[in-house]
Parts: sequence; structure tokens; C-alpha cells
Amino acid sequence: MAVSAQRRTGKRGGLWVSQRRFVLSVTIPMILYGSIGVLTIAWALVLMFFEYSPGRAGGPILGLGGSNPFVGLEHFGNMIDGVSLEARLFRTSLRNTLIFAFVVLPLNLAITLPLAALIESIGSRIKTAFRAIYFLPVITSSVGVAMMWGWLYDPQRGLFNAIIRTLGGTPVAWLSDPRANFLGVSVAMWAVIGAYLWQDFGYNLVIFIAALQGIPKEFKDAALIDGANALQVFTRITIPLLRPTILFVCVMTMLSSFQVFDVIQVMTNGNPNNQTRVLVLDIYENAFRYQRMGWAAATAFVLVLIVMIVTIVQMRVLRTEWEY
Amino acid sequence: MATIARARPRITQRSLVLVRLKNNLGQLGVYFFLILGLSMTLMPFLWMILSSFKTTTEILRTPPTFWPENPTLNNYLTILNDPKLPLARFYGNSLFVAVANVTSTLFTSSLLGFLFAKYQFRGKRLLFGWFLLTMMIPGQITMIPGYLILARVGLLNSLWGLIVFSALDAFGIFMLRQFIESLPNELLDAARIDGASEWQLYWRIVLPQLGPPLATLGILAFMQNWNAYLWPMVVLTKIEHRTLPIILTWYNSQHSTQPNITMAATVMIVIPILIVYFIFQRWIVRGFTMSGLKG
Repeated sequence: MAVSAQRRTGKRGGLWVSQRRFVLSVTIPMILYGSIGVLTIAWALVLMFFEYSPGRAGGPILGLGGSNPFVGLEHFGNMIDGVSLEARLFRTSLRNTLIFAFVVLPLNLAITLPLAALIESIGSRIKTAFRAIYFLPVITSSVGVAMMWGWLYDPQRGLFNAIIRTLGGTPVAWLSDPRANFLGVSVAMWAVIGAYLWQDFGYNLVIFIAALQGIPKEFKDAALIDGANALQVFTRITIPLLRPTILFVCVMTMLSSFQVFDVIQVMTNGNPNNQTRVLVLDIYENAFRYQRMGWAAATAFVLVLIVMIVTIVQMRVLRTEWEY
Repeated sequence: MATIARARPRITQRSLVLVRLKNNLGQLGVYFFLILGLSMTLMPFLWMILSSFKTTTEILRTPPTFWPENPTLNNYLTILNDPKLPLARFYGNSLFVAVANVTSTLFTSSLLGFLFAKYQFRGKRLLFGWFLLTMMIPGQITMIPGYLILARVGLLNSLWGLIVFSALDAFGIFMLRQFIESLPNELLDAARIDGASEWQLYWRIVLPQLGPPLATLGILAFMQNWNAYLWPMVVLTKIEHRTLPIILTWYNSQHSTQPNITMAATVMIVIPILIVYFIFQRWIVRGFTMSGLKG
């Protein structure tokens, strides 16, 4: 109010001039700095049309051209039906990334939603303690998580196989047996999914608890008086009212699981037989190990495209008319 | 009449007991699942800590022992005395990058938040939208050109390479703008009338009000930087410049036959952040809920 009043009355006054000067002195450096970001995005979008390796001299502008030739859409054509090793690895990585994301999401919701409801149903002081401890893995460094879980999965001395042996089962080479699979997904993939879920679930849990606290208690009470049981209250009242939160959580979980890297790179590095190779790992290896940066930029573009499409689809599917 | 009056309380009492029993059983079930989940959450931490106290002969035994038979601190001493692993230096590297990035993020976020909240100027919406858009672009797409830029300006293998691109944080700008909008304009105008310049408004009036949101934002940014892995691995390839997570994987590959030592190293890298967490627990959880950011 006061600022706008000032604007009307004293447009040419000293105050107005000093405010303008302040705005300019902040925005101009920030715009200059922020344009580095625009430059990098533009550079990435150009790179994907070239066969670019930083080791080669190339042309005068950004090293493009010359021995780093323009190839147009060739990379994308190769991704679809190329027979070269990198094209096949790309398709494997894409499939693994999709498997990873579409397994992680339902499992995550199946753990976090009921758990949040259980935590919400108990006394407030213990609730805070539970929430704090369940959140621990989220703030643990993902490299640390990968190291801990790699050791848990150790075929000879790991805890999991020790438990299996005591129960009389046969030990599993969790991270290295290329033939072992469960429900059509390799055991190594399940193993990294387990570690990832463990690290990640506390985040969604905290969000669901916050959302549950926002649901008016009268709704549940009314349903209980009408004779609904606890399960019915959960499925018919709580879940529909949580839909906006569920939408948010689905999108965020999908986004981060499409970009999974740390846990997998440390635990399996994509092995066995590339069964856990995911897109970001593929991008990393191509760009920085084999210096195929044009190809890697094209792969990164595909990843971003998928992320955007999935986000939009989920927004459409789960959009809700419920408000409370 | 009399019989009915006598019968009724008895029935109510019995059903009350039944209901209470049922509730208690339900409560018991709830606690059973919560504690089961809790132990599954804590088990990997416990296994790591227990393993780090085992001797080399014990750790290689099959089947493994659960509690260490002869608990020892040797693994920690080995790490601390390893001449190839100047740990203080790596803690220093991680700390330097995290502190530099947190400071710059807090400065730009509060300054731009102030600007977007309290000033009217042409192109404001466009600029704000542009800053938010940068938050949506995943790092994988800017990673390659970012590397090429660093290579050109000679900042590869330098901790500054992890700092130069990290000064703007769209979420921070967004969050602090919301907060600063709630500060009364009269406060700013009063200071203006008293002759304060706009920069003085920022330093003397706005910044001192921002304690809690800056703390939340700062802790989140600190943890993100401390735990970062992919980008530091791209930028830093020489050992002496590395940050802790990359050193941990390198050390692991050097000692893959001695899990007791690698687990001790993992403990030493995981624990500092857990301490920070337990001190600032409430702010951290709240910050994560607001941000939609992942660690």
C-alpha cells in the first residue's frame, strides 16, 4: 500500500529514484549470473545434434563442427533402432529406469500411506519421536546408504543371507547373480530398489503425516457415527481427501526415481549384465568415461522429456475436484 | 421395571469392557507395526555400527556374528592414522564447499526475495518466472555443458568448480519472498523517512527478521551440499581435492576385503550429519515438507 501510494505521488521524487537504482543494482548482476544457466541449457540443446568429444579440436565456436561433426537427429534415430553398443545400452537403461520408477512408486505408497495413518493415530509426543527416527535415512548421504546396504547384501557375511541361512533357505547373491529374478525383475534390481525405498520413504511419510493433520476430525467422526469401521474410514474418507497430496507425492517420487544414480552407481555400477544400469548412469558413463558428450546430451534430453511427460500425465490422471 | 433397570447397567458394563479390550488390541497392533517399521529403519545403521567395531578375523567369519565378540576401536584408529587418507583435509573440503554455497544461497535468496516481495518494476513477473523455471530443469541436462565451461575457465579439480554455479536457488527465493511479503511496509517506509538507503533497509531491517526461514533454508542447503555425489565426482578427479562422499567410495574400493574398516569410514561420514539432524530436527523436517526437495 504505502509503496504504491508513494509511486503515484512521488514518481520523480528522490525516494523513487533510489528505489529504482536499488532494483537495477540487484537485478542486473543477477540476470547476468542467471544467464550462465540459460547458456548451459542452450549449449546442451545444441550438443545433442553433434558428435562431440572434448578431446577433439573441432571448429571455432564451442569446438563444434570440424572433427566434431553435425549429425542432426542421428542420435535419436540410433536410440530407436540402432544396433551399436551404446544404442543397445541406452534401450536397456531406459527399460531399467522405467522398471525402477514404476516399482518404486507403488511400493513407496503402500508403505508410507498406511504407516502415516498409523503414526497419526497415536499420542502426539511419541508421534514426534517416531517421525524423527523414520526420517533418519532421508538425511543420510546416499553414498553412505549404498555402503551400508551393499554390506547387508554381502553374499557370505551379510545380514540378509545370515537370516536366510538361519531360516533354512539358500543364500542369494543379491547384487551379482545375473540369472536370479523375481516376478520378471532381476534380483539385483530388487536389491537396489530395497535400498532406495529405505532411504526415501521417510520423506513421503512426513508429507502424508502433515496432510493427515490437515483433515478435519469431524469428517471421520461423522463416518464413524454412521457405522463405518476404521478401514472404511481410511479408504472412503482419508484417501479421497488426501488426493492432492497423493498427486504431489506421486510426481515427486517419480521425478526423483527417474533420476536415481548415487545408490546404484555405488552398489552395483549397473551390473550384473547391465541389469541395474539406469539412464543417469548411462549419461554419466558416456559423457565422462567415454567422452561421447553429444550422445550423452541427447540421452539427457530424452530423460528430461520423459520426466516432463510423466509429470503431465500424472497431473491429468490424478487431478481432483475435491476441496476441503 | 426393576429387572430391566438392573439388567441394563450390567450389559453396558460388559460391552464397555469388550470395546475397551478391542481398542487396546487395536492399539497394540498399531504399536506392533510401528515398532516393526522402526527396527527395520534402524537395523542398517545398527549393523554398520556393530560391524565397525569387529576385528578383521571376526568380520570375515561365515555365518557372521551379530554383536562384536571382541569390540575394538582399531578400525577407527587405522583410518585416522592412514597417511594416504588425510581426513581433516577432506572434512575441510566438504565444509568449505557447503559453507560457501550456503552463504551465497542465503544472500541471493534473501536479497531477491526482498526485491520480489517489496518492489514494483517492469518485467518482475517474467524475471520471477524465469528463476522458478531454472528449478524445474534437472541437473543431468546442464551437467555436460557445466563441465565444459569449468574446463574452459580452468576450474576443474578445484573446489570453486562446485561453487560458481550454485549461488542461485529458486526455492530459496520463492520461500523468502513469501516470508518477506508478510513484513509490514510501514516498517520500511519509516526507515526510509529516517534516511536509510535501500541497501540499509535490506541489511538492518529485513535481514534481522529472517532468522527462522534462513536457518531452515541454510540447514537444507548444507545437507544437500554435504551429501552431494554426482556433480562433485564429475568436477573433482584428483584425490586431494575430493569431498567426503567421493572419498568414501574411493576408500571402499581400496579396502574392499576389510568391511570392518569401510563400515568405520562410513560411520565417520554419516554421523556428523546425523548430529546436525538431531540438533535441528524440527526445522529440518518442516523445511523438507515445505520444499518438495529431496536430500
